[in-house]
Amino acid sequence: MPRIYVHPLPVRIWHWINALGFVTMIVTGFQIRYVGLIDLMSFRTAVVLHNWVGFVLIANFFVWLLFYLFSDKITVYHPDLSPTRQFRRSFRQMWYYGYGIFKGEPNPHHISVYQKFNAMQGMTYQVIMLLLVPLQFYTGVLLWDVERFSGMIDVLGGVRVVDTAHVLIFTFFVGFIAIHPYLASLGHTRTAHFKAMFTGYEEVEEEPTARPPAG
Amino acid sequence: MTGAKFHADLMNAARLVLMAVAVLAVSSLTARAASSVLSKPSQQCLGCHSAKGLEKKLANGETLSLHVEGSEFARSVHNMIGCAVCHADTTLENHPPVKTKIAGAREYSLTLAKVCHTCHADKLKLYEGSIHAALVREGNPIAPICTDCHSPHAVLPQAAYDEASGAPCSRCHNPVFDAYAGSVHGEARKKGRMDAPVCSSCHNTHDPRAGGNEDALRNACLGCHPRALPAHREWLPNAERHLHTVSCAACHAPGAKRKIDLRLYDSAAQKRIAEKEGVPQFELRARAIDTEGKGLDVNELQKLLGEINRDGTEGRAILRGRLEVDSGIEAHRLAGKTRAVGQCEGCHRAGSAPFQKVTISIAGVDGRPVRYDARQEVLNSANSVESIGGFYVIGGTRIGLLDVLVVLSLLIGVGVPVVHLALGWLSRKYAKRIGGREDS
Repeated sequence: MPRIYVHPLPVRIWHWINALGFVTMIVTGFQIRYVGLIDLMSFRTAVVLHNWVGFVLIANFFVWLLFYLFSDKITVYHPDLSPTRQFRRSFRQMWYYGYGIFKGEPNPHHISVYQKFNAMQGMTYQVIMLLLVPLQFYTGVLLWDVERFSGMIDVLGGVRVVDTAHVLIFTFFVGFIAIHPYLASLGHTRTAHFKAMFTGYEEVEEEPTARPPAG
Repeated sequence: MTGAKFHADLMNAARLVLMAVAVLAVSSLTARAASSVLSKPSQQCLGCHSAKGLEKKLANGETLSLHVEGSEFARSVHNMIGCAVCHADTTLENHPPVKTKIAGAREYSLTLAKVCHTCHADKLKLYEGSIHAALVREGNPIAPICTDCHSPHAVLPQAAYDEASGAPCSRCHNPVFDAYAGSVHGEARKKGRMDAPVCSSCHNTHDPRAGGNEDALRNACLGCHPRALPAHREWLPNAERHLHTVSCAACHAPGAKRKIDLRLYDSAAQKRIAEKEGVPQFELRARAIDTEGKGLDVNELQKLLGEINRDGTEGRAILRGRLEVDSGIEAHRLAGKTRAVGQCEGCHRAGSAPFQKVTISIAGVDGRPVRYDARQEVLNSANSVESIGGFYVIGGTRIGLLDVLVVLSLLIGVGVPVVHLALGWLSRKYAKRIGGREDS
């Protein structure tokens, strides 16, 4: 089966640090919020770990951002400039996951180096990476040192407002972190996409339509 | 007595005092040895006033003791100035008997306290900013004035004052003093640690401020414990915020009952909203809104904030929470740091003890907080996000609605793959029959 190089090393490093980090953030987040219901570690340990891993993730975010800003691979995130086409493609992808996949229909999206995400995936990741993740980092940093950022927190409506925003985004990530690996298991084999995220190479069932891998 | 006459008498007396001071200064050791000897005029006064049981009936029916213990007065610092300086309105022409009617003991003390101010103007300045003076201005009949703390005929030099005895504060604040005496501070003082604080160390001698002034109290603690902040930073996340929103006693008085006080602040001025002088409305207003009399619920709290906002504060009325001990007495039962509350879980667990009692407060005219009860639910309601945006304890006051969303998200996160897998398994035979792939 032909292979194409779709996950460059910086992206793979960023991805796995992000994956480990977000799982840790969610686990410690649950521990912080549900003291008494969950007793994996002390509240203080959970807070300290949450803070440290948070800063690692912020630094890691810039690995992702700088890589794509200074690489031609940024096209993977480019949406279709025609909203109708973008919507049609997203709908087709949803139809595939919701119905076609059970009938054994082929995935309507064909992976290429410059278009590795399907329309739905690309839009979702853009919302996550450019809106939700920065917002979560921002609210997290404010909560990390409430006193230092008290002026900004007051402008936003107070620490309760900031925490509510943080928890709402956390709620989204809780669902995402479970669904994301499941969707990743819907490749031509259950493990194909996972292997690709380690090796960088995706196996494609037909000839790649885009330019050859950059190496 | 007219003001002019009082002033003239006072000036005469002051001249006498100056002369006496000058004589005392030049006669050095002789003068010191004689300092406990009563002057001739004082001896003349004490000729009558040393008699025990000498008293006077006042207009309101009270009895004013006119007895002065000669030996005590001789030892007092006021011996130096003699009787006439303070009692300048009493002259040989009008005494005895004093013809001026005295309305009551309190009124007499208030009049004579003004005499203290002529020599102790610096202390008066401090006193006027105190909670004691504020209470006097409010007309509180037992609020202390000079003579309540300093027995005028037995004022000893400052060095002779036993600070650890609690006097004179304990006369009115005895339960507080008892709590202090059993505290780490009181015990240290008993063991001779002269650096251990007494009442005046935290509350100032002449200008004690209203309790509940968080900055003043925190600064009093930090004054002797300057390493408190760095020491807390070593183990406590968000140490600065904790030290601002949790009173020191809330953790360092381990057995104390704690509560949340939601304080009304002006968002623009960043100051506590204060009751308007002469028209105290906060409590009346809160009582009127609290229709069931069980404390303000979420909607009633919003209504109260709305009414305060309509009064025209500079900015918006906002609430900032503070974790504090339930009473001033408990605030003084401070223990050593090894017994301090160090378990985060004590507050960061939902339904923790401190969140069972909630009050809303405004700064009273005299600086003391005026409080009204609120229901515990206001801390956890989604509708409180706006009204008490300034207070949130992670885990401890978490919003119930968000918990529902978290559970929903978990169910979706787990449910979608499970349902999808199940559908995939069910459709496998169908896919095979129509020639599609099985590993979908």
